[in-house]
Amino acid sequence: MGIEWERIIDLWPEIQVAFYQTLVMIGISLGVALVVGLPLGILLFITDRGLFLENRSVNSVIGFVVNIVRSIPFIILLVALIPLTQAITGTTIGPVAASVSLSVAAIPFFARIVETALRDIDKGVIEAAVAVGATPWMIIKDVLLPEAKASLIQGITLTVISLIAYSAMAGVVGGGGIGDLAIRFGYYRYDNTIMIVTVVILIVLVQLIQQAGDFTAKKLDKR
Amino acid sequence: MIQIEQLSKTYQTKHGTVTGVDDVSLEVKTGEIFGIVGYSGAGKSSLIRCINLLERPTAGTVSVGGQDLTKLRGEGLRKARLKIGMIFQHFYLISQKTVAENIAFALRAAGTPSKKIGPRVDELLDMVGLTDKRGVYPAQLSGGQKQRVGIARALANEPAVLLCDEATSALDPNTTLSILRLLKDINRKLNITIVLITHEMNVVKEICDRMAVMQGGRVIEEGNVYDIFADPKTALTKEFISSVVSFNVPEETLKKCDGTIIKVLFKGAVAGEGIISDMLQTYPVKGNFLHGAIEYIQERPLGIFVMELKGGQAEVQQAIVYLEQREAIVEVMDHGN
Repeated sequence: MGIEWERIIDLWPEIQVAFYQTLVMIGISLGVALVVGLPLGILLFITDRGLFLENRSVNSVIGFVVNIVRSIPFIILLVALIPLTQAITGTTIGPVAASVSLSVAAIPFFARIVETALRDIDKGVIEAAVAVGATPWMIIKDVLLPEAKASLIQGITLTVISLIAYSAMAGVVGGGGIGDLAIRFGYYRYDNTIMIVTVVILIVLVQLIQQAGDFTAKKLDKR
Repeated sequence: MIQIEQLSKTYQTKHGTVTGVDDVSLEVKTGEIFGIVGYSGAGKSSLIRCINLLERPTAGTVSVGGQDLTKLRGEGLRKARLKIGMIFQHFYLISQKTVAENIAFALRAAGTPSKKIGPRVDELLDMVGLTDKRGVYPAQLSGGQKQRVGIARALANEPAVLLCDEATSALDPNTTLSILRLLKDINRKLNITIVLITHEMNVVKEICDRMAVMQGGRVIEEGNVYDIFADPKTALTKEFISSVVSFNVPEETLKKCDGTIIKVLFKGAVAGEGIISDMLQTYPVKGNFLHGAIEYIQERPLGIFVMELKGGQAEVQQAIVYLEQREAIVEVMDHGN
């Protein structure tokens, strides 16, 4: 036991690479989650019963698909999506390849978060916009998104933190990243120093993201 | 302006079908303020929400300005709604947008060119008296101010009709009065037709021209506000009226009276007190006032007096006939001993 500072200095380049890999994985999968999950979440909400684009069949289909993806344990998804990963990125190793599975997991996760955030908006505000004669697009852009802004930012924070946890598993398919480093050195080789250092890095990262999220959400909310 | 024909609205719930509105037909004329009163659950909220099709009627039609809205869907309905403003009990402003942005939202819905939005917002803020609140967020406004923003938003696209869904029910009495005055003012200046629903009879008394009383999804009484106040037909209407114009004489007082108790009602410009004093001079009866007031409804006086008449039965009867000849409406509440 005990921290060997020399080990840290020795492995510092590797830690840096791992940190960078984690950022790549989270950046890509968060980006995809935002671009695909946000519209999907909005669609889930506005096609629901009693809303301005009510459509039971669209709602059920999206809801069903989202639930299926969310039911699959990430580790299984990671392996099952190897062919897709190969097709999209041309490789199955490295952080970019791991981002494919992470993205697939993040999309439905974030979509449900968006849906829940939108559900918290007072229905009356949406109804007032309908009564005013606003187009569906205007209601989404000027009512739903602004009104849910604070909870959406909290949702993004939650998604990023979950992605950090998921990305640790990416090591299984050679994805790299901080979590992978912790497993390879700390867990398999009983290297306590590396284990502690990586865990501390993850703790600091999660704390920072959570605080940044809380701060931004509070700052932007006009209520 | 608004024709509601045989409108019904039912809801499917876990416990079966619930009727919100049951075969209601109403006509609201251009430029009038029409009030619908009823307790909660009477169906008035469902009814007003059917007018702009926030709720689609199960049966019947709603026409606004000659256009049958129940035939419209999607884009057509959206366009029609631009000309039907609506305000709500809880205002429902976009909390993350400023006062000006909330009003601009309505203008953009109508495709107003961006150059014209600024000046029009100023005009509307001036109309509702909130010029200094332009860049403020709703959270910093009082209830009355929020409702003024709601009114500005509803009027943004120069609608022909303004629907008010319990618009003053969340406000204190003074604020209620100022909002009602604003509505009346708008009604006169813009000749906009206003339909309002409320459970507060004083709202109707204050600004409405005509009214309907709802119970169990049906309209049970309808007519000119003045006439209904003067001569309510149903028990429910009487109950509503007694909440603003009460002529209940305490039991104790009534027990002490041994004469005939009458309620006399004078409509319009008739000088009620003068007629009563004429009667007392003409007939050998004694009169005691137990209660009395002159209410102004639609700026017309409505005099209501409760009094005890003492004297011979024949004389009291003659006195009552005399009052009736002088256009009073007399109701004998107790024949005395």
